Amino acid sequence: MSISSLRRLILILLLIVLGVALSIANPAFLTMGNLMTLLQEAALYGIVALGMTFVLITAEIDISIGAVIAITSMVCVNFLVHTQIPVPLFVPVAVGVGALIGVFNGFFITRFKLPDFIVTLATRGILSGLAILIAVKEGGFVSNVFIQNPVYLWFGSELGPTHVVTIVFFLLAIGAHFLLKHTRFGTNVYATGANINAARLSGVNTNRTIIGVYALVGTCASLAAIFISSRMMTALPELGIGQEMDVIASVVIGGTAFSGGIGDIPGTVLGVLFLALIKNGILKLGISPFLQPIVIGGLIVVTVVVDTWYRRLAERMISQAALRRRAAANAAARA
Amino acid sequence: MMANIESQASSILLECHKITKSYSGVVVLREVDFSLKHAEIHALVGENGAGKSTLIKVITGVTPRDSGTIVFDGHDLPVDHTKAAALNLGIGVIYQELSLIPGLTVAQNIFLTREPLLPGIGLINYKKMNADAQALIDKYKFPLKATSPIESLSIAHRQLVEILKALSGNAKLIIMDEPTSTLTSSETTLLFEIIRQLKASGVTVVYISHRMEEVYALSDRVTVLRDGKLVTVLEKEQISPAEIIRLMIGRTLTADETKRAMSRKNGKPVLEVKGLTSVGRFYEISFSLAKGEILGIAGLVGSGRTEVVRAIFGIDPFNTGEVLLNGKPYKPSVSRAIASGFGLVPEDRRQQGIMAIIPMTKNIGVTNLDTISKVSWVSGRKEMALCHLGIDLLKIRPKNPDINVGNLSGGNQQKVVVGKWLVRNLKVLIIDEPTAGIDIGAKDELYETIQRLAREGVSVICVSSDLPELTRLVDRIIVLREGRIVKEFAEGHVTEEDVLKASSGILEGGNHDN
Repeated sequence: MSISSLRRLILILLLIVLGVALSIANPAFLTMGNLMTLLQEAALYGIVALGMTFVLITAEIDISIGAVIAITSMVCVNFLVHTQIPVPLFVPVAVGVGALIGVFNGFFITRFKLPDFIVTLATRGILSGLAILIAVKEGGFVSNVFIQNPVYLWFGSELGPTHVVTIVFFLLAIGAHFLLKHTRFGTNVYATGANINAARLSGVNTNRTIIGVYALVGTCASLAAIFISSRMMTALPELGIGQEMDVIASVVIGGTAFSGGIGDIPGTVLGVLFLALIKNGILKLGISPFLQPIVIGGLIVVTVVVDTWYRRLAERMISQAALRRRAAANAAARA
Repeated sequence: MMANIESQASSILLECHKITKSYSGVVVLREVDFSLKHAEIHALVGENGAGKSTLIKVITGVTPRDSGTIVFDGHDLPVDHTKAAALNLGIGVIYQELSLIPGLTVAQNIFLTREPLLPGIGLINYKKMNADAQALIDKYKFPLKATSPIESLSIAHRQLVEILKALSGNAKLIIMDEPTSTLTSSETTLLFEIIRQLKASGVTVVYISHRMEEVYALSDRVTVLRDGKLVTVLEKEQISPAEIIRLMIGRTLTADETKRAMSRKNGKPVLEVKGLTSVGRFYEISFSLAKGEILGIAGLVGSGRTEVVRAIFGIDPFNTGEVLLNGKPYKPSVSRAIASGFGLVPEDRRQQGIMAIIPMTKNIGVTNLDTISKVSWVSGRKEMALCHLGIDLLKIRPKNPDINVGNLSGGNQQKVVVGKWLVRNLKVLIIDEPTAGIDIGAKDELYETIQRLAREGVSVICVSSDLPELTRLVDRIIVLREGRIVKEFAEGHVTEEDVLKASSGILEGGNHDN
């Protein structure tokens, strides 16, 4: 069994163990209602994690996605409050906002050779300011708009036993998987992240690839913003700010390497479910929700330490196997 | 042996005895003896792969040796002595890539990690540090100021700071690896003066260089290595550039393998390069390449050979000159190059050639997305088939398309980099250091592949430091020196010696002894 499938198996086992433990600890965990809520929570930010997987595999990082969620929801609220434009017409515009911000990020990073972290940090600041600026106000203060448009609220509603967003998330995951594994774009993403110099010399347009992954994660963030604001039935300009940590955490837990070149969508889906399970578990066990960020931060550290450790181990095993093969070949040649 | 050393303790600084070192089963140093006297300038020469760098690494504690003894200044160095221990004993090394920290001053760099502190509070005593640094500079009369920031200095002056750094640790031995490769000729003259000053003050200098006239001008003694073995040690009066070259190559000139009749290819040129100039890199490069011809580009590291082929492939821009493809003007860019049937196997396999952490299928597939995908959809089946084609064409082992390329041996990694071009409809293959760091068996297979390609009508440009490789493989050789074509071996016979003389700047009619 390869190292990466072993890792995948361990994550699945952990999911099961955690699920069983929670069911025993609190009977309220294993109810249809709670499981569907859990999946819905997972899906809301999982959509962004799908896009973030592409970014991390390209060896890039985007910390502006929380602010993209904020600005997109403000755009939607403005459409709802100030215009009569029907929902199906403005939703594509709102999603386009994220794509545009992604192109902007990617353009600055590639064209001016700026560090990805700095560019998206700057974007994050600008966007969170803009979100407050364009927020619907009453007497100079940001007003808490209640969303009542039934068409818009559909995004946050239930569908059959589950929620619209859960179904959308799994459909998008399938799409993202094929985009990553079966298209030129996906191949370029792996190549760029594995070795940008070699990719360039192999004819990959690395700049276009990088701009592409930022546009993708931006689009995902804007899409998520619509589902999140619809589900909350309200939107404040700080919606989503800071969520980049959970998103990146679930991608990394899912086995995508921070250094690029390694990772896939099934892993990210598992990582998203794992994180949602942890969060739900903290809630269901009556532990203070303030412990959540500490637990998630700790999980990132543990994952990265273990990943680094087993990748080194794997390298050592491979080089030792090569040595043995060579020694055997030499012995055979002498004999 | 010990008695021998003790009796000569006054004159011998370093005594290496029967040093053996192998990397993953390949022996790179075989029972090499190497000794240095106090206050001498000692050149270490040999072709690429002769074992010079490994010997230095063993002495400086960068890599442990397999066997053999090293005695430095009366101290026995254990097999796994560390870099820090070597430094403490007084062994300093100056690498081609300088290790100074920009943003800090000369004094800060010299005393890095050994800064003098103000008593009690642990703050750096800058006054003392600057004064000490200036005293050291003045002692050797270097044209430097202790408080200058590093980024304000030229490369040559930065090298002097490196030397001071070593001297401040009381270095008794300073090893310089190709110190002049990045220097202008006036800077080289300055460095030579400094090296002679070091000698006068009792420091031993080991000088590694491919430039024979420098070795000749500077050295008291010369140690020649070949294929990981000691050839000989020349005393001052025995040193001549031609003799050193003869010893480095080590084969008699009548041997068939070193002498090759150059075939002359006719027909329309596929690629023509006219007056290509990139200021600071190369000047007025002109040549043409016929269909099915293998053109070799020789020259020392830093002579501009890699830069020329990178410009033709469209990676780096150039200032003036033109490139013609099949007689038509052609503006190089990587995507146009690939679309027009060029392929490039870059010089540094790990940094530029392979994508180590992803599978072979993708390494080969990514250059061939035009053939394995329609619109954007990549056919996994076609990708796999193409990878198998590459595996068969080049005999890549193991035959596992899903293996990550980083897990293959060096030779098989190189085959993957070559393979991703061979599965295409290739017209011109540019291959930079085709066999660097790969074993003999894989080398032969690659040579056969290149020759087969040429027979099939592909034109090949082969850049190489490996002279036996060039003389064996190519139809024609151009030699670059300091960014210019200094010699072309177009027809008739060529030997490694001819090429080496041209690249290291020994003019014809000079020190010939044959």
